[in-house]
Amino acid sequence: MNGNLYHNRKAQWAIYIVVFVLLALVPFVFDNPFNLNQFARYLIFSITAVSVSLVWGYGGILSLGQGIAFGMGAYGMAATMQMQFQDPENDPIPTFMLTNELEKLPLVWEPFWSTPIGLALALGVPTLFFLFFGYMMFQARVVGVFVAIMTLAMLAAWYSVVYDMQPFTAGFNGISPPNAFEIFGTSIDPYSATAYWICVAFLVILTLSTKFLLGTKFGLIVQAMRDDPERARFLGYSVAYYQTVLFTISGFIAACAGILWVMVTQYVSPTSMEIMLSISMVIWAAVGGRSSLLGAIIGAFLINLGQSYAGDEFQQHWLIILGVVFVIVVLFLPKGLTGLFESILGKFSGNKNGADSSTGQNS
Amino acid sequence: MSIHDFWTPFSLYPFLNALFIGISLASIFFIAALGLTIIYGAMGVINMAHGEFIMLGAYTTYVFQQFLGVPFLLCLPIAFIVLALIGWAIERGIIRTLYQRPLDTLLATWGLSLILIQGIRLIFGGQPKYVAVPKFLDFQIEANFIHLSGVRLFIIIFAILIGAATWFLLYKTTLGVRVRAVMQDKEMAASFGIDANKIYSITFAYGAGLAGVAGALFGALKTLFPDMGSGYIVEAFLVVVVGGIGLVGSMFSSGILGELSSIFSYFTNETFARFILFTLIVVFLRFRPQGLITEGATRR
Repeated sequence: MNGNLYHNRKAQWAIYIVVFVLLALVPFVFDNPFNLNQFARYLIFSITAVSVSLVWGYGGILSLGQGIAFGMGAYGMAATMQMQFQDPENDPIPTFMLTNELEKLPLVWEPFWSTPIGLALALGVPTLFFLFFGYMMFQARVVGVFVAIMTLAMLAAWYSVVYDMQPFTAGFNGISPPNAFEIFGTSIDPYSATAYWICVAFLVILTLSTKFLLGTKFGLIVQAMRDDPERARFLGYSVAYYQTVLFTISGFIAACAGILWVMVTQYVSPTSMEIMLSISMVIWAAVGGRSSLLGAIIGAFLINLGQSYAGDEFQQHWLIILGVVFVIVVLFLPKGLTGLFESILGKFSGNKNGADSSTGQNS
Repeated sequence: MSIHDFWTPFSLYPFLNALFIGISLASIFFIAALGLTIIYGAMGVINMAHGEFIMLGAYTTYVFQQFLGVPFLLCLPIAFIVLALIGWAIERGIIRTLYQRPLDTLLATWGLSLILIQGIRLIFGGQPKYVAVPKFLDFQIEANFIHLSGVRLFIIIFAILIGAATWFLLYKTTLGVRVRAVMQDKEMAASFGIDANKIYSITFAYGAGLAGVAGALFGALKTLFPDMGSGYIVEAFLVVVVGGIGLVGSMFSSGILGELSSIFSYFTNETFARFILFTLIVVFLRFRPQGLITEGATRR
């Protein structure tokens, strides 16, 4: 074996599989429903971190608007679950609409009577939105910080709409569907191992297909664009096209996370579109290592685990700790924990260029 | 919510009043965004902690006014100096190492803003605080269709003053010439003997100081919360993005954004106005990504 073990493809796939198997075995170790539910939430956050890693770590597009897709997916799922509870004959209108003086079910809510259509909308609408939004931005060759600001502004705009359209979205209170999600005639208890495994399955499928995609020609072109968009353009590649596709895929992944989130928590509120959550996703990916999907997963897992178990006296200081960790990582470990791991492995395998990989700086 | 509550029909006097509110909004946007524009224009750094600098300015005013009895007008320069010092320290400590990585500065300053928000919350608690409005501003203009409080009028006047002062600094002093030279081409300026790093420190400190003044003014207008900065930051960014990196650009863009948001709020409501405006900006940037006015500087 020559070179850094970190860059060995087989070793990479092996470690992915080991981590996923370990995650899948968790329900056999902890059978406490509360813990299991917590872990399922971390998995969902890991999925969002994967979407950030894909678009930012590999595509060089810093999107602060992943929450748009996450929130849209979550609201779509919440509407689907709410309508599963409603009865078309006797009780067709959710309670929060009645308290907001709506006498008829709004038209946008009608499709959610059907679970398959509801799910399709919950995934399709955010994906299409990202396609459209990405097309708008990347056709205009918006780059770097401008993308960050535009996605942030879009997120803020959606947040205020969701917050304000109380009769349609239950505003600040959010929607809490009374029953667990039902599909194929079975109800999925959010505290069960089944719900946890569904999250694992989503994480595994999304991560592995992303990793596979990044190994194809498409993935290589995307990474070339990240390192030098001008040169990629001169080589004849339509940078806008690749960026748009990448952005759309990341939106789809974040929307999947949104759906799972409501399945596991039975609750959605405008917090899902808060700036804080979207930037947290970036933090998770950055701390774990933006240019490694597995790193992003581990980063999301560790930080959320830390937040939950930091203890009550730490809760007050948690944001400060998070801020300090983040600043330190950005300053000294731009490639996150996996970057650290990479250079350590590089030392062992005698390759002094451990850190000199394909992961260039974003510019 | 029926369509009638949602859509306000046009009538002249309330509409004129809305235009007036637009001017007031524009002045607020301008003051909030000016420091950001200068920092972004000169250094290419998006300072996500700018909103928190505004918040710190407001709390500085609160502390000096409440505990030391300093009059409000004197608090404005104090807030400027305090924030300029903080900004200078931050530039030295954090920003300096990240000039080659603009996206990372955005993230680092965001981490910083987390620390500042929570730090202030630990010191002052989460309850609202108030900056006392001085007596001479405690009046209300009521003429025909115009309703305008003294503080808002003061902010409009102050926006003009601060814009003029910055213009003077940038265009009429040697320092300003140097700053503009660095803005246009850092390497070329450096080869003419301008110490670009020093210019960066000064610009960042000045931008932070402007945020401090903004905070002092907004403190008189609204209540103080540790996370009040986030209420200004998105709009301030949009002013920068729409206006381009120059002073004139931000003046125009804050004027346009203020008026449009006031007009949209008049016809619909505030949140919807925000949504329409933000969407319009995204569409605008599709066609003019460099902003309204570019002043021949290199785009970053």
